[in-house]
Amino acid sequence: MITSFTTRFCRALRARGVLTTPAESIDAMRALAAVDVADREDVYFALRTLLPARREDLATFDELFDQWWRAERDTAPAERHARAPRNPAVRSPTDEPRTAPGAGATALIRWASARDEVDDDGSLSMPAPSGNETIGKKDFSAYTADDLAAIEQAAARIARRLRARPSRRWAQARRGRRLDLRRLARLSIKTGGDPAELAYRRRKPRRTKLVIVCDVSGSMDLYSRFLLQFLFALQRAFARVETFAFSTRLVRITESLARDSYREALDALVSMPGWSGGTKIGESLEHLLAGWPRLLDRRTVVIVLSDGWDTGDPDRLAASLTLIRRRAGRLVWLNPLLGNSGYQPLTRGMQAALPHVDVFAPVHDLASLEALVGHLSL
Amino acid sequence: MREDIRRVQQSMEREGYVTDRATATAVYLAVTLRKPLLIEGHPGVGKTEVAKVLARMLDTELIRLQCYEGLDVTTALYEWNYPKQILHIKLDEGSGHSLHDKEAVIFSESFLLERPLLRAIRNEERSPVLLVDEVDRSDEEFEAFLLEVLSDYQVTIPEIGTVRATHPPHVVLTSNRTRELSEALRRRCLYLWVEYPALEKELSIVLAKVPGIDEHLARELTAVVQGTRRLKLTKTPGVAETLDWAHALVALAATRLDDEIVAETLGCFLKDESDIRRLTDELATRGVAALAAEGAAAG
Repeated sequence: MITSFTTRFCRALRARGVLTTPAESIDAMRALAAVDVADREDVYFALRTLLPARREDLATFDELFDQWWRAERDTAPAERHARAPRNPAVRSPTDEPRTAPGAGATALIRWASARDEVDDDGSLSMPAPSGNETIGKKDFSAYTADDLAAIEQAAARIARRLRARPSRRWAQARRGRRLDLRRLARLSIKTGGDPAELAYRRRKPRRTKLVIVCDVSGSMDLYSRFLLQFLFALQRAFARVETFAFSTRLVRITESLARDSYREALDALVSMPGWSGGTKIGESLEHLLAGWPRLLDRRTVVIVLSDGWDTGDPDRLAASLTLIRRRAGRLVWLNPLLGNSGYQPLTRGMQAALPHVDVFAPVHDLASLEALVGHLSL
Repeated sequence: MREDIRRVQQSMEREGYVTDRATATAVYLAVTLRKPLLIEGHPGVGKTEVAKVLARMLDTELIRLQCYEGLDVTTALYEWNYPKQILHIKLDEGSGHSLHDKEAVIFSESFLLERPLLRAIRNEERSPVLLVDEVDRSDEEFEAFLLEVLSDYQVTIPEIGTVRATHPPHVVLTSNRTRELSEALRRRCLYLWVEYPALEKELSIVLAKVPGIDEHLARELTAVVQGTRRLKLTKTPGVAETLDWAHALVALAATRLDDEIVAETLGCFLKDESDIRRLTDELATRGVAALAAEGAAAG
């Protein structure tokens, strides 16, 4: 009888996203054998130590336990199946609006060709930079083609800083300044205790990996061009970057960016659908998790570049960010609008995202790109 | 309540650890089911203390492994005593022993430096308590290795062979959640989340841990700390800080709290400059009594 109790309860927990394994169901049985099963508190505290594995699960557990205990007590055994803990309301699938296939390409071509024009839409919705501002402080939305070289330099500097970081762990080395005593002792057996042959060790390099998810929806148009330029430059300078772009759906653009010139990269990007459309951040991030499940680990910094104008479901956004944060070393959200002093992150999407990100920083000028380095080292 | 759990709770209290049913049940199950216990909670809520108390209760050795980034097998498990090995080879030079024999000697027990994990596994008499402290500060590689050790309580030293625990240790892991632990490690463990204690519980901790404190003062200072926790501070004070502060106040022979003495001793429970400024402002505008009243109401 306890067996069916427990399995049903575990199943209900699983339905609510609290992962419990069969091994844990077995442990739960063992635990219940060790406590007084007639005592609600005993059972409660025992299962509470066993089944949830993190603090976030505790609230769900409490709620389900309460339902379960009452249901099991109030119901005669025969009726139990009917009164098993209810599954949570299943969310109805949301339709995914798609942008017309042609629209994206046009938008991108517009960006590409804008290289040679004076950027005049920059002053439309963003505060225009005053004449005496240095280039480091100039808002990206006001950039002209001439400034793009500076972005490349910034990217190169970031890449340099990321590369040269020794970790705390040691590895064998052919040459070096530190002796590897363990191997030295072993080698000197041959020569009767005299260390004729030396062995060295060095710090293992710390390999930080970057995963960048860039919002290229309509609201980001002003910035997307420069951010893509930045991503292109960064990817050239730094090997371990995976880059994704999304508007209503996620596209991996790492390979498209890996071209000899930015122009070629843009040409490659043009063939992809969905540019400058609406924004579905949560769904796009879910896609990232599902489509590239082994991408994220503790050595990975995930950067989301977005203004947070989300037309998708904020709950899904929050849920996928939670998952990303759990797997990745760091989750950085860069918002170009944050550079604007009057900006408050009040959009629904931003509100849902903020509790889950490690770093929330602006990305609107070169100075903010430089400041990024500090957030990227794990 | 099961008699055993009550007994666990009583013996923990006897060892000076004011506890609750959740903690007592977790400790009881960890010992009964022989599963590692993962304790999470904010800094300073007494996570480490659980392991210490458990060791005292079981009257056994406490072996502590403090984790940090880059912690590796040579610091956690074992290392060969290299200077001794080299000296031995040197002394043994003319002896005519074969290379094989020489190697067998220098890679034997007497040249082995035991580190916490190996010591926990090799205890001959009784199960020790192994405290893996702040496991979130170690890195993934070490976590994977730890998982391996915890799954069958055996380790392999290439030169010696496999060492299997005759008395598997009781394992307590603590984490401050500076990073998320792997799902596999979590699944292996029992889980206990320790919250900041409520007013009455914290008061009894203060009374138990700070001998000679005036009960009225204890109540006042606990209420102030409780009130302080409700402010959104950078570093919220834990129970450890409450106790530090209580000790300080006793040392200063304070009998009750006023704005002045609180301002003088703020550093005992606030460890961040901006927090100190924040509380100083709070005291200037509302006064210590208001803060304490708020804390008491919340408790």
